[in-house]
Amino acid sequence: MMIWAIFAAMTGAAVFALLWPLSHGRAQGFADVADARSLYRAQLKEIDRDLARKLIGDEEAQAARTEAARRLLRAAGDEAGPAGETEPSLRRRRASSALMLSVVPLLALLIYGLYGSPGQPDQPLAARLENAGPQQDFGLVLARMEAHLAANPGDAKGWSLLAPIYLRQGRYDEAAKAFAAAVRSGKPDPELYAGLGEARIMEAGGVVTAAAREALAESVKLDPKSPRARYYLALAKEQDGDGEGAQAALAQLLAEAPAGADWVGAVQARLERMQADAGRKTIAALPEAERQQAIKAMVDGLAERLSAGGGSLPEWTRLIRARVVLGDKPAALQAVKTARKRLAGDKDALAAINGLADELALKEAAP
Amino acid sequence: MIVEIGHYALALALGVSVIQAVVPFWGVFRQDRTLASVGSSAALVSFGLVALSFAALVTSYVRSDFSVANVVANSHSAQPLIYKFTSVWGNHEGSMLLWVLILTLFGALVALSRRSLPPRLRAGALAAQGLVAAAFLAFTLLTSNPFQRLVPVPAEGQDLNPILQDLGLAIHPPLLYVGYVGFSITYAFAVAALIDGRIDAMWARAVRPWTLLAWTFLTLGIAMGSYWAYYELGWGGWWFWDPVENASFMPWLAGTALIHSTVVMEKRDALKVWTILLAILTFSLSLLGTFIVRSGVLTSVHSFATDPARGLFILFILIFFVGGSLALFAWRAPLLRQGGLFAPVSRESALVVNNVFLATACATVFVGTLYPLLLEMITGDKISVGAPFYNATFVPVMVPLLLLLPIGQSLAWKRGDLLGAGQRNAFAFGLAVLAALALLFFMRGGPVMAPLAVGLGVFLVLGAGFDLGERIVARASGWRAMLSRARGLPRSAWGTALAHAGIGLSIIGIAAQAWSSEAIAVLKPGERLTSGRYTIVLEGMSPRTGPNFRAEVARFQLFAGERELAPVEASKRVYTARAMPTTEAGIRTDGLSQAYVSLGEAQDSGVAVRLYDKPLILLIWIGSLVMALGGGLSLTDRRFRLAAPKRAAPAAAVQPAE
Amino acid sequence: MTIAQPTRPLPAKRRFTRKQRRLTLIAGAGAVLCLAAGLVLFAMRDTIVFFYGPTEITEKGVQPGTRMRLGGLVEAGSVQRGGDQRVSFAVTDGKSSIKVGYDGLLPDLFREGQGVVTEGVFEGAGRFKADSVLAKHDETYMPREVADTLKKQGHWQPGGAGAPATTPANP
Repeated sequence: MMIWAIFAAMTGAAVFALLWPLSHGRAQGFADVADARSLYRAQLKEIDRDLARKLIGDEEAQAARTEAARRLLRAAGDEAGPAGETEPSLRRRRASSALMLSVVPLLALLIYGLYGSPGQPDQPLAARLENAGPQQDFGLVLARMEAHLAANPGDAKGWSLLAPIYLRQGRYDEAAKAFAAAVRSGKPDPELYAGLGEARIMEAGGVVTAAAREALAESVKLDPKSPRARYYLALAKEQDGDGEGAQAALAQLLAEAPAGADWVGAVQARLERMQADAGRKTIAALPEAERQQAIKAMVDGLAERLSAGGGSLPEWTRLIRARVVLGDKPAALQAVKTARKRLAGDKDALAAINGLADELALKEAAP
Repeated sequence: MIVEIGHYALALALGVSVIQAVVPFWGVFRQDRTLASVGSSAALVSFGLVALSFAALVTSYVRSDFSVANVVANSHSAQPLIYKFTSVWGNHEGSMLLWVLILTLFGALVALSRRSLPPRLRAGALAAQGLVAAAFLAFTLLTSNPFQRLVPVPAEGQDLNPILQDLGLAIHPPLLYVGYVGFSITYAFAVAALIDGRIDAMWARAVRPWTLLAWTFLTLGIAMGSYWAYYELGWGGWWFWDPVENASFMPWLAGTALIHSTVVMEKRDALKVWTILLAILTFSLSLLGTFIVRSGVLTSVHSFATDPARGLFILFILIFFVGGSLALFAWRAPLLRQGGLFAPVSRESALVVNNVFLATACATVFVGTLYPLLLEMITGDKISVGAPFYNATFVPVMVPLLLLLPIGQSLAWKRGDLLGAGQRNAFAFGLAVLAALALLFFMRGGPVMAPLAVGLGVFLVLGAGFDLGERIVARASGWRAMLSRARGLPRSAWGTALAHAGIGLSIIGIAAQAWSSEAIAVLKPGERLTSGRYTIVLEGMSPRTGPNFRAEVARFQLFAGERELAPVEASKRVYTARAMPTTEAGIRTDGLSQAYVSLGEAQDSGVAVRLYDKPLILLIWIGSLVMALGGGLSLTDRRFRLAAPKRAAPAAAVQPAE
Repeated sequence: MTIAQPTRPLPAKRRFTRKQRRLTLIAGAGAVLCLAAGLVLFAMRDTIVFFYGPTEITEKGVQPGTRMRLGGLVEAGSVQRGGDQRVSFAVTDGKSSIKVGYDGLLPDLFREGQGVVTEGVFEGAGRFKADSVLAKHDETYMPREVADTLKKQGHWQPGGAGAPATTPANP
């Protein structure tokens, strides 16, 4: 409400200032003759001054005076007579007052009404940081932390809190720097080193760089069990072409995993992908007949494992597709049925399996 | 609340400007002085409102109020205060607000300069000015609103483009805008004169100070921009014939012609129609510049982020004001009484020659800037027009003009004595030729044109000096008389001489760049690189942290021949908020010359370093400063205040004896 | 300097030339303008460089030895640094690419996958010798010519161009 009062006052003041000359000016016309006359006088004065300073000669001065006089006459020739206070001038004044009283506020309100946000208060940063309550938003906390660390770059605790946040936000470059700062100024901590390695890997677009490897090695040195560091070191092995070593390392990591560790799934998936890749490579090297055989054996193995229990949607999908590719339609149908049973609790997965069955034209009697 | 008050003030200013455009015009048509006087108060009110609005935006920036979209996009809480301040106009929306602020400031100045203006002319000019202000206020409010708010409020801003975080660029736009916008006053006066249907020496006197003011600031703005490009972009170039640079250079050329043609009009009551046309064209070129910079139709190294809607809006403004004023010109100009004639050999003829050449030079730049656009519209081919084009067109037009300049400058009004003027300049010309020959001799095997250009510059400087000297010495006996004459010379005479000498200095500086040299190498600490007269030795690299950037700084020892100069540092900065790298060149001034070091990428084998020897390069900008100083000095010439209608009678009594 | 000097009435004989003088003035101005127009036309032939994208070079059959500007995206993985300051990279519009050789320092904002404009000489056979490499003051900048070229080739979405970054695995 306050703000509208201010707006009203501003509008009033502006319109008042515009109206002022209308109410206070005496009605008069343009007296250009007077202007020309004063210019003439000024010119004469200047000519005299120049003459006194000997900048021009007598003759030149005389001629210049004549020319100035001629100008004055010319100006006087097209004089416009001064107008007194007349009926039309009063009418004009009223009309322009009305114009001011309407145009200024209306235009201002129209434009401001379209684009303004009268309800939104100022929010200078300093005040926001000060007043931020418990429900303060996350960005502000971050901003505060950054400001604090910019002032106290030696605060290892702060850096170690900030770094994982950056990592999660995808600001890998800053994450790496924050981890490095934390490592530099705090106690050696395997988690921090592993984080540093991870940030560097992300920064490099997934490549385990030499710098990343250094950090990971440091982490493993401090804590031989550090799962994150070991995982990335395994990836490094794979990147170096040592696929078996990588698989072994991951398998060992899985074997030693504490029960209920949340990273087991991800490591498991990666290991399977590696195995699949490796399998493909080996199988591709076999002669035609043996290859079919090998593939069949692999698929059977998978089917066996799945029918024994468990199995995720991707695994089932893989099995069904493999059966179809191998031309074993009944087995594929069988797999679809089993999968439906197993995944009955998961609506999305069920839909996916049904979609797959349609796609592969796996017709069956209605269940 | 401050933000919203600023926003509302801007909207209110639009309404007031509309009144300023309408009511005084009505008064002029109806011979009603009361209505006409509304122009003054409207101009003052609208300036007050825009100033309030600008102050509100500045406050938001300084307090890092991230609820304002414009502040978020161009500011960061870690910026040093000075750059928080200058970020206000480091972006399109904020700079538009600055533009409007200067526009209304000029309107207010015209309103306040009650004394020296015929009231009819002032009312007409204020109305035209109000129309321009209303158009740009509408543009700002409708397409480029700096007060747009954001919900939810972000925690941090995106920082100002790092290369704009620089003191040089901080003051460059305001200077340039004062120049651009200053010409709007001349334009408004021209429109007022056309509507009024009469124009005389008084008009010329009224307009001249505004033209000079605008020209002086435009000169400073262009020089500042050029120096900024030189040290900040890290390629050692100082003028690129870039469309945006041309956009400021064309009004400068036209404005220079305008200054000279108003002198003819003031002294000889001639060249009226041409002067009016020139006043219109100069501001039209300023508007064209605005269009080029802000619409993105032309590719440039430094245009603003663009938006087709804005381009269209500005195009509309451009067509309205240029087309409207030219139509008015075609309609009313024949009514203006033709001026007198003059002898072919006279100061006024020389000024006409000046105008012809300057207008032609301006036209070549115009063609070079807009031809690519035209060609692309017609054939779809994209071309770029660069320095070779301007060297082949602009330079040949300017050279005869500059050669004739000292002669024209020493011709008398009315009926000049060509032989006498020639004789008077023969000495200066002889010395200039000697200088060129000496350079040719000592720099054998070097460029041929450069010594000639240096000679031209010397001729200009000496010609200006001798002309001034002669006026002081001639017909005077004894140094006392000379001193009094020197003091008695109008300041505009001093200003003219300074401005002309400034051009000479700049030309010497430009010509000397033919002897600049460049060397690139990958250096390890301890290794050296030589270019021209300078040798650098890399001492080492070290990291450094600034308020909102990190830098890798290379430190060099610098030698000029055997002499060791102060060490120089060049760096690569990375601004954290935008993760954007910039190059900070290391520049060491040695007399009027500079050694210029810029860094490339750090490699395994060392860091890539580029070293330039830039002989006499400072003269380019010193010359511009001298030109601007000349403009400023002319501006203080007391004769501009003489056409004072109200003051004349009493002033006669208190006229100080000088 | 004085402000005004006399206008002596001109003798009848000279008044007669009033028109002539005006014509002389106009003719003089016209001559200067014509000269400038001639210079401009002459310069247009020799000093103007055309802008092409990699595909346009082959489509329009640009002759080897032509001076021109080449614009497009710096192909990912194509930047090779030789000894000294020699750099080579490929400029692509997604359809075809041209190999560019350049001696000198690259601008700050030169990056793989980003827009670039180079000026130099087309050497034929998909090779280009650049003598300047231009980048913009702004990191989000896409040179307009480059954007147009890419749009033509259907590789441009306003708001983000370039190859998607490889997503690393994350346990």
